[in-house]
Amino acid sequence: MTNGAKPDRADVCIIGAGASGAAAAKVLTERGMRVVMVERGPWRTRETFGGDELANVNRYNLWPDPLLNPRTVRDSADGEFRTELFCPVPQMVGGGTVHWQGWLPRFTESDFRLHSIVGDVPGTTLVDWPITYNELEAYYTQVEWAFGVSGRAGANRYESWRSKDYPCPPLPQSRYAQKFHEGCAKLGYNSFPTPQAALSRPFNGRPATVISAFAQQHGDPTGTRSSALNVFVPDAVATGRLDLRPNAYVSEITVDERGRAKGAVYTDEEGTTYEQEADVVILACGAVETARLLLLSRSPRFPNGLANGSDLVGRNVTFHEYSAAVGTFEDPIYAWAGGGYVSASSFEFNGHDDSRGFVGGGHIAAAGVGIPLPINWSLPNRPAWGAAAKQVDRDYFNRSMAVAMVVHDLPQHDNRVELDDSVTDAWSLPVARITILAHENDLAMGRFLIDRNAEILEAAGATSVQKVYIDRITGNCSHQHGTTRMGNDPESSVLDRWCRSHEVNNLFVVDGGPFPTGTGINPTLTIMANAWRVAEHIANRPKATRS
Amino acid sequence: MPSDTFFDPHQRATIQAAMARIIPTDDAPGATEAGTIHFLDRYLSGLDYIYAKPDGSGFEQLSGKRAEAWRQRIDVVRERYVAGVRDLDERARAAHHADFVDLAPEQQDEVLRNLERPDQEQETDLERARVTLYGAPVEPALQQTSAEVDLGFVPLLALHTRQAFYADPIYGGNRNRVGWDVIGFPGPASLAEVHTGRYSTLDYFADDWEHPRAKETS
Repeated sequence: MTNGAKPDRADVCIIGAGASGAAAAKVLTERGMRVVMVERGPWRTRETFGGDELANVNRYNLWPDPLLNPRTVRDSADGEFRTELFCPVPQMVGGGTVHWQGWLPRFTESDFRLHSIVGDVPGTTLVDWPITYNELEAYYTQVEWAFGVSGRAGANRYESWRSKDYPCPPLPQSRYAQKFHEGCAKLGYNSFPTPQAALSRPFNGRPATVISAFAQQHGDPTGTRSSALNVFVPDAVATGRLDLRPNAYVSEITVDERGRAKGAVYTDEEGTTYEQEADVVILACGAVETARLLLLSRSPRFPNGLANGSDLVGRNVTFHEYSAAVGTFEDPIYAWAGGGYVSASSFEFNGHDDSRGFVGGGHIAAAGVGIPLPINWSLPNRPAWGAAAKQVDRDYFNRSMAVAMVVHDLPQHDNRVELDDSVTDAWSLPVARITILAHENDLAMGRFLIDRNAEILEAAGATSVQKVYIDRITGNCSHQHGTTRMGNDPESSVLDRWCRSHEVNNLFVVDGGPFPTGTGINPTLTIMANAWRVAEHIANRPKATRS
Repeated sequence: MPSDTFFDPHQRATIQAAMARIIPTDDAPGATEAGTIHFLDRYLSGLDYIYAKPDGSGFEQLSGKRAEAWRQRIDVVRERYVAGVRDLDERARAAHHADFVDLAPEQQDEVLRNLERPDQEQETDLERARVTLYGAPVEPALQQTSAEVDLGFVPLLALHTRQAFYADPIYGGNRNRVGWDVIGFPGPASLAEVHTGRYSTLDYFADDWEHPRAKETS
């Protein structure tokens, strides 16, 4: 099964070096634990990043290559599965935080208890979280201060209490953010500078962030944006207790004779296979790949996949959906400035309101249209080619913007990640097979938010506005949650409130998988805060109980 | 000596003519002036021009699985272009008794439109991609959910012409930054400008502007 020399046993083995894995590695190594972190992708340095739209947005420089990493997906209960790269996230040290612009709003108190507010929603598995905002607050603060998040406390009227202000004031204001604030002010809506993973001033020995146009979907060659790669990984390395192994593809979590996680089997670039043993195993692969790895890890004791006696691994998956109303203006907006996502936000429609006729809500914010750089910018209904297409580019490239939304798609039992029975990846393993049906609530919320977004653009003086409603979940956010939901009842959840498997007591998950609901808010801040919380819990346990 | 071209002279002339219809020259430069054919011919020549080095000093050498994937992708795209040139000529000869490259611009547009007209299944796929990208071009734009290997010939040609017109000039198109000038994008003088952190877009912000509620909350 393995042909490489057995590595030394570690206190903790983390699978995946993205936002959550790197956060856990920082906390655990700083608490004195020896951590091996195994990452399937490369460990790239900032010198390998650049201002190249073609390479980064169009040619898979950072995105996973769909020919190597396909997935299959269907959006009806009995439809055929299509092969497509659904909901990709960069596979590398730092993960999605390498190429994001890092919108980092906190969830609110109500986001953790939507079921208590609205009750059962037919067709969904809506539940409260087993943890509260109060339990996460300290960890939100830890992550914000580690990253140097730029924002303004109190600017969001709907934010919950905070123990500490943001470490940096908001970033400079883009013209698209300005339009959004103006539109919201006219309509009486609260709006605020989007808290971002970037430094508006020098912080903690790091210089202020360079405001380039090549930011969203680009790695940062100056290393001045905040990411797991720039912050958590160096912190963990500095302890001398992190052994980070990139280009190492994990194919199985093994179990010992007592049914506990024993270690991770991985293959390096040369094709040599190793088994890394550890007292504690933490999965941090992203909700889709974590579910896939658990399902791949079958054994006589766990014939349906590791930690899957409940048959819930992979179920209740949610992805958000991103869409927008798009407006054009007479005056220039330069929505590529800063990369298109140095933004302004509103939580006016994030909380539940019975009068709207649907459950829940979502975060809305200003942005460029798609990736608003020359190659990939466009407007809805722009012709694909010819003189008219060129004219649209000339007239509106500098004079258009989006007001976008994050739809809170509700969890459903039959929306799930499984293993595909025919399609394999470049490592010859079955790929993730996804079934995702939009619930009527998701579509109604989408219509409502897009209508509000269009009104904001009109109030801001847009000369034309186009609404792009959603009609299904396309996985276009890179957000993924719910495949290993946490809860207090082993019958209805995979993990306990500490994100530990109900069945395997030294196995933890710290990515978006534990989220019982996706909420309508960008998830990564909460993913990192929760990973920090779980890592502290692991470090606090007496060693004798760890395995 | 590795070649940096793929097309034979007739294929190159045909695609160049088609690109001139995708982004035509009017009072502003178009695909011809931007040298988009050079971008595409070099792209299809092999694996030597896939990724520019981020400091602008040349191109990356690919290896391992990444190189395998690109070899596979380039093969698919080459075949689509070879077949596309054949289709353009067949349709041009059937309708106008001449090769595509010898037709008048309006006739070329008509041939491209007829070739583009998708069958029902393709139409569904295109619509699916369009919805995913909320109206953005049918290409891997917003998030990577559709891929160029899945595109038919005309959408692929439109995608590559656009890439060639607007990509960093190091890739061989966007000659003298004419693409960026046409739409008013103040791109960096070179990739090195971005790599070293000298390129900033702060001048295009509204930093003298104050939030309507800033006074109340401060």
